[in-house]
Amino acid sequence: MVGGGFSRGAGRAAVALLVAGAVTACGGVGSGGGGGGGATGSALTTMGFGLPDEIASVRVDRFKKAHPEIRLTVNQGQFDEQAFLSAVAAGDPPDVVYMPRERLGGYAARGAVQPLEGCVSTEGIATGDFYPAARQQVTYDGKWYGVPEFYNSIVLVVNDKAAKDADVDPKSIDTSDWDKLAALAEKMNKVSGGKVERYGFNPKLPEFLPLWAKANGADILSQDGRTAHLDDPEVAEALGYAAGLIDAQGGWSRLKAFTDTFDYFGAENPFVKDQIGMMLTEQFLVSAMAGTTPDVKITVLPFKDRQGRPVNMIGGNAWVIPAGAKNPAAACKWIKMMTEADAWIAAARARQDKRAAEGKVNIGTYTGNARADQVIFTQIVKPSGHAAFDDAVATIRSVQDAGFVVPQSGAAAEFTRVWQDAATRVLQKSQKPGDTLRQAQGEAQRALDDAGN
Amino acid sequence: MTTAEDTRRGAGHRPGRDPAPAGRRAWRGETRWAYVFLLPWLIGLLVFQLGPMVASLVLSFTSYDLIGGARFEGLGNYRRMLEDPKVARAVGNTVLYTVLHVPLAAVLALGLALLLNRVTGRAAGAFRTIFYLPSMTPYVAVGVLFLFLLNGQAGVINSFLALFGVSGPQWTTDPDWILAGIVLMSLWNLGSTTVILFAALRNVPRELTEAALIDGAGPWQRFRSVTLPMISSAVFFVVIVNTIAALQMFDQVYTMFFGSQSAQQTSGDAALFYVVYLFQQAFQYLHMGYASALAWVLFLVIAVITLIQVRVGRRFVYYEAEEHPG
Amino acid sequence: MTTLDRPRGPAEATRPADGVGRGTRRVLFLTLLAAASVIFLYPFVWLVVASLKPRDRTFADPFLPWPAPFAPGNYAAVWDAAPVLTWLVNSVVVGVAAALAVTLSSAFVAFGFAYFRFPGRGVLFGSVLATMMLPAAVTLVPTYLIWNSAGLTGTQVPLWAGNLFGSAFYIFLLRQFLLGLPRYVFEAARVDGATYLDLFWRIALPLARPALIIAFIFELKASWFDLMKPLIYLRDPALFTLPRGLKAIVDQFYQGGDPKWEIVLAAAVITTLPLILVFFLGQRHFVQGIATTGRRG
Repeated sequence: MVGGGFSRGAGRAAVALLVAGAVTACGGVGSGGGGGGGATGSALTTMGFGLPDEIASVRVDRFKKAHPEIRLTVNQGQFDEQAFLSAVAAGDPPDVVYMPRERLGGYAARGAVQPLEGCVSTEGIATGDFYPAARQQVTYDGKWYGVPEFYNSIVLVVNDKAAKDADVDPKSIDTSDWDKLAALAEKMNKVSGGKVERYGFNPKLPEFLPLWAKANGADILSQDGRTAHLDDPEVAEALGYAAGLIDAQGGWSRLKAFTDTFDYFGAENPFVKDQIGMMLTEQFLVSAMAGTTPDVKITVLPFKDRQGRPVNMIGGNAWVIPAGAKNPAAACKWIKMMTEADAWIAAARARQDKRAAEGKVNIGTYTGNARADQVIFTQIVKPSGHAAFDDAVATIRSVQDAGFVVPQSGAAAEFTRVWQDAATRVLQKSQKPGDTLRQAQGEAQRALDDAGN
Repeated sequence: MTTAEDTRRGAGHRPGRDPAPAGRRAWRGETRWAYVFLLPWLIGLLVFQLGPMVASLVLSFTSYDLIGGARFEGLGNYRRMLEDPKVARAVGNTVLYTVLHVPLAAVLALGLALLLNRVTGRAAGAFRTIFYLPSMTPYVAVGVLFLFLLNGQAGVINSFLALFGVSGPQWTTDPDWILAGIVLMSLWNLGSTTVILFAALRNVPRELTEAALIDGAGPWQRFRSVTLPMISSAVFFVVIVNTIAALQMFDQVYTMFFGSQSAQQTSGDAALFYVVYLFQQAFQYLHMGYASALAWVLFLVIAVITLIQVRVGRRFVYYEAEEHPG
Repeated sequence: MTTLDRPRGPAEATRPADGVGRGTRRVLFLTLLAAASVIFLYPFVWLVVASLKPRDRTFADPFLPWPAPFAPGNYAAVWDAAPVLTWLVNSVVVGVAAALAVTLSSAFVAFGFAYFRFPGRGVLFGSVLATMMLPAAVTLVPTYLIWNSAGLTGTQVPLWAGNLFGSAFYIFLLRQFLLGLPRYVFEAARVDGATYLDLFWRIALPLARPALIIAFIFELKASWFDLMKPLIYLRDPALFTLPRGLKAIVDQFYQGGDPKWEIVLAAAVITTLPLILVFFLGQRHFVQGIATTGRRG
C-alpha cells in the first residue's frame, strides 16, 4: 500500500518527443508499445463484438468468404464507452463498433459516429427489412446512424413449481391486474431468517422502468426525444408500484445480493433451482434455457399493461461507424453482411442444426430483420415437442409487434443514467418515487436541452 | 515538505561525506555535471508535473470535451462543484472512508506488529509473510474477491456470522453498508503498514524497556511511555501515507461498483469515491475541464491535510538519529 | 466483523510474562496469532478453492478448504474466454519496462544528489520530496492530453515511459543508499582518471545493487497493480495488462448479465499468482525496502 501509493504518485508523464530521446539515453528500455500498425485500405477493425457462438461465427465466416481482400481484426470484448470515446477523441477509432442501440443518439449528436445515409445507399442495405421499433432506435434526427442486430423482447417467465405452490395455473397469470400481481408475488416469495430462498417476482428495476411506465400508460420521453416526462404522475405510480413489489419481498439490497448469485445461463439456473417465482426478462434467457435445460418447467407469457394489452420494450445492439474511421467502405460492407436476411437465416440454420445434433431445444433467433425472422420461424424452427418452449416461441413472436423503444435523443446515455439513478434511489429507500422523479426530470431536461444545441 | 527539511538536515550532519574543498574551477565543473545527472528529473518535474499542474489549473476554467474545442467558463466548474450532489456524496464517502480506514489500519497494524514482535526466532518471518501476502494481491483481484466474500446472501463473511446466529448485512448492495464493506476489505490489506511498524518496533532498544521494567513500570505504561514514543515517527509516517492513499481510493471500488452499467446501478452513489467521480467525469463523459477543477480541489485538500498532519506530528514525534538503510 | 474485535487484544498480549497468568497470556497470544493468520490467509484459500469448483458450487460450502467437486477445467475455460496469456505477457513487458526505466533513471538522479555539492541542492532535493506528496489525480487529465497529442493513447507507452524521468520516492531511497557508501572509493577512481559517468556506471550502480533491486521490485509491483493507467490508455484488448483484463472479465462475467464466476475467479488467481511468486523470490528485499520507507519520519 505504502510503496504503491508513492511510486504511482510520481513520474507520471512524458512527452513523446522526449521519450524517444530518453529511451536511447537511458540505455534502451524494451518497448511494450503495440501500436496499431498502418491501416491499409483493406483492413477492418471491429470493437465491442465477440464470437461467442455460431450465430456470430457463421455470419463472420460468410463475410470473410465474400470479402477475402479485407483483413479483418475482431477485437473481442464488450462495448466499453470510455475506450470508444477515447479512441474517437484520439482520432484512432476502430472501423466499426457494436454497441447498445439505446445509447446511439448521444454519440450521433456529439459527432462521434457517422451518419450512414451514404452507406445505406451505396451498399443497398434493405432498410425496409428491419422491424419498425429497431429502425426507430437507430435513426437520429431523421438519419440512419446504425444498423440493428438482435431484436430482444421482454416476456414474463414463470416457474411452474412456484405457481403450483401458490395454487395458480401458470397459464392464467395476467399482469394487468396489479393488485393480484402483487399478491401473487408475495405468495411465491420465500424468505427465512434474512435469507431469501425464492424471489417471488423480479420486476427488473431499475432497467425496466420504461416498461413499467408504459404498462401504466406513460412514456418517459416525448416521441421527438426532446421533452422528458419523468415527472408524469403515472411514471411515479409505476415506479412506486414496482419498487413496492421489491420491498414487500425482502427489499432491494437483499434481493439484489441474491440475484447476484444466480447462474442464469447454466444448468443450475434459478428456475431449475427454484430460486425464482417469475421474472421479466429478455427472450434470450429463454433461448439459453432451451439449450441448457430443455426439461425445465416454465411458462412464458406476455407482459400486459393495465388495459390487458401486451407491452414489450425492445432492445439490442447496432453496428455503427465511428467518426474518423479509416475504412468506412469496408465497415459498410461488414454492416450489410452482418445484418442482411440471408446472413441471419444461415446463422439460425446453423444453430438449429447444432441444437438438434445435441438433442437440445431451439427457440429460434430473434433478429432485427423482420424478413429473416419470417423465414426463420416458418422454415427453420420446428416444434420441439417441449410444449413450454414451443409455446414460448408463439408468445415471443406475438409480442414483437407490441414492441416500443425509448425514443432516441441527443443525450441518450445521460437520460438513461438519470432515470436509472432515480429508480435506484427509490429502491435504496433514499427517496420517494415522486421526489426522485421530479429531481430526475430536472436533470434529464437539462441534459436534453444541452444536447439539443 | 517538512520531511524534506529533516532529511536534508540529517544529510548535512553526516561527517566526512562532503567532498574536500576544491578549486573554484573544479567546483564549477562539478556543478555542471551535477545538473547533467539531475536533468532527467528536472525535465520530468517541469514537463510532467509542474507543467501539467498549471495546465490542469487552466483547464479547470474551461469546458473541454476533447472532441470539440475548449470554451472559457471562468469559475463555472467550481460553482458547479458546489451544486453537484454527486460531488457532495463523493466527498462524504471519501472522508468517511478515510476517517474509518486510517485509524483502524494504524491500530490493527500496530497490534499485528506487536504480535509479531513477540514471536521468537524464524517464525516471526513466516508470520510476517502471512500478514503481508494480502498486500501482494492486485487491487482488482482484491475487489473481485471481496465481491464474492461480501455477498450478503451467500458470501463467506455472512456465512461465518451466521454460525453465531448473526444475520449479516448486505455488504455489496445495501447503501447503508457498502462503505462498511469497503472498509472491511481495506483492513485485509495491512501488510505494508504492519511491516513498517514491526521494523520500527524491532529498533526499539531493549535496554530502554528493561530500564522501564526495573523502574517498576507496568506493561501499558511501558508501551505508552517507551515503545510508542520510540516508534512514533513510523506511526506518523503510515498515518500520512495511508491518508493520502485513502483520499485517492480508486482501484478496488471501481472494480466492484463501477465500469459497467449494471454494476453502477447496484450501488447508486453509495460507493462513489472522489477519484472515481473524477475519473468518470474525465474519461467516461470527457468533461476534461470539470475533472480538472475536481483534481485541483483534491490537490489543495491533500496539501492542507498533509501540512496539518506534519504540524501536529512535529509536536508528538520523537526523531531518533537517522541511520543509513542497507 | 470479527476483524474489528482485534485491536484491543494485541496490546494486552505484549505484556511480558511477569507475575500471574503467564500461561493464560501465552494461550491468548497464540490464539490471536492463529486467528490473525486465518483471517489473512483464508480469503486466498477461498479464492483458489472457488476457482477450482464448478459454477453452481461457487458459493456452496464456504468453509471447505478444498474444491469439491474438483473442476480444473475452469482454467482452460479462461483461456478460451479471454486472451489471458497475452495479458500476462503484456503485464510482464510493461512491468519490466516500467521498473527498469524508473530504477535506472532514479539511480542516475540520486547519484547527482548524493555525490555532488552544488548550489540549489537543498532546494531541489526538497522539491523531490515534495513531489512525493503530489496526488497523481491532479495531473491525470493534462497527462492524458499530452499522450493524446503525441498520438500514443491506445498504446502501452504511457504505462511506462513516464518512468524514464525518475520518481521521487526511488530517488530518495537510492540517494540514502548512495550516501552510505564510503566516499574514498569514488575519490580513488577519480584519481585514476574515471569520468563522472564512469563513477555512476562502474561504481555506484554495482555497489547500489541491493537498493536497485528494492526499487525494481517495488515498481514491478506498482505496475502490476495499476488499473487506472491501463483503463485510461488501453483500448485494444490485445494490449491489456492483467488487471485491466480482469476488470473486463468482471464487467462481462460478473456484472454483465452473463454470470460465469469460475472464469472471473480463475482470472483473479492468474492475476495474483505471478506477484506472489515474485514476492517469495524477493521477499528479503521487499521487507527491507518497506521497512526503510518508514524509517525516515
